[in-house]
Parts: sequence; structure tokens; C-alpha cells
Amino acid sequence: MSKTKEWRALDYCEDNRGGSQAIVEQDAEQTNITKQLSEEWIIIKDSECVNVETTDTQVALSLQIGIEAALAIVLRLAIADDNQVEDILQDFKQISKTNQSNRQKTIVEKSKYVDIVTVDTDIAVHLQILIQLLLGVIATLDIL
Amino acid sequence: MSGQPPINNKVVEVLVKSVLSKNGVKADEVKRSIPEEQKKMLREMVEDLKRQVEEFQQSQKEENSE
Repeated sequence: MSKTKEWRALDYCEDNRGGSQAIVEQDAEQTNITKQLSEEWIIIKDSECVNVETTDTQVALSLQIGIEAALAIVLRLAIADDNQVEDILQDFKQISKTNQSNRQKTIVEKSKYVDIVTVDTDIAVHLQILIQLLLGVIATLDIL
Repeated sequence: MSGQPPINNKVVEVLVKSVLSKNGVKADEVKRSIPEEQKKMLREMVEDLKRQVEEFQQSQKEENSE
């Protein structure tokens, strides 16, 4: 009984979108790993024409920094003691950090014409928790 | 994610109050004399951040439903 030879992208390439967009490594074991901040793994192996759309972590990250800075500004304006402000910021950081543990793994192997769309809900939740903390501090200190 | 915040607002309030009191912040020690001009800037900053977070959530939702 003869086995049907399974399809492998590295055996031949049908990508005819005019010119090669990627360097093709002639190593079947070569694996392309993309790791993002929130532990999101997308592994594409022995495949072609794979389109990946994922959460824009850059936007989320700059927003996160913006909110954290705003929290620091508000606390520094409201509280005279700088050490006190640092301790409070540390405490808030711990509260928001415990909510960050997102692990997604997407593996594409021996496939072609695949669209991957992943959404990192945790990073969105994290941003909302930060903004909730900021609003909570402003309301509690009653400074605006 | 719907309009529901991830943490209940009451919980956030208690959380914030406990962190502040743990660090010895007393309400009467808090400077309430922030100039009006600075208050205005802070309000604008907070509104701006709120809007950006909402826009980000919205773009995530749209991506998800595509």
C-alpha cells in the first residue's frame, strides 16, 4: 500500500504574486515564531500565503503608558509627599498586573492561503482597568 | 467586551480608597488648591485618554467581527 505524499509548502512554491516577498529557507524544520508582549504565539511552519492580523500592541502599549503617566501626574498634584506617591503607584501597578496573563498559541502547519485574525482581549481589559483606576483616584481624591 | 467595565465600579472605589489609606493619605491633607487652569488640563487629559481607550476597544470589536 503506497502512502499519498503529504503536501508541503517547501517542496515547491506556487506563490505567484509577482516577485518573492520572503526569503525562502530550504530547511523544512525552519519555524517562524512571533512573540508578542502578552504571550501571544503565532507559529507558521512549512506554509505559504499566510496572512496574519493581530492586535495592535503598539497602540495599546502607548495608551497604557499614557494612562500610567496620567495617574502619576494626578497623584503628584494631589499628594505632596513624593515617596508616598511612589508607593501608591507601586500598589496600583500590582493590582493591574495580576490581570495580565494571556497565552494564545496559533499554529499553522503545512497549509496555504490561510487568514489568521487574533484578538487580544486581555490587553483591552487591562487598558480599561487602568482607566477605571485613574477615574477612581480622581473621584476619591475629589480634585477636579 | 460589552459596555460593562471589567471591574465593578464599586470595587474600584473600595480598592482605590484602601490603597490610599494604606499609604497614609488623609483626605484633609490632599491639596485641593489645584489652580483652575491645571484642573482644566487634567480634565482634558483624562477625557482624551478615555476616548482613546474607547476607540481602541471599538477597533478591536470591529476586527473581531470581520
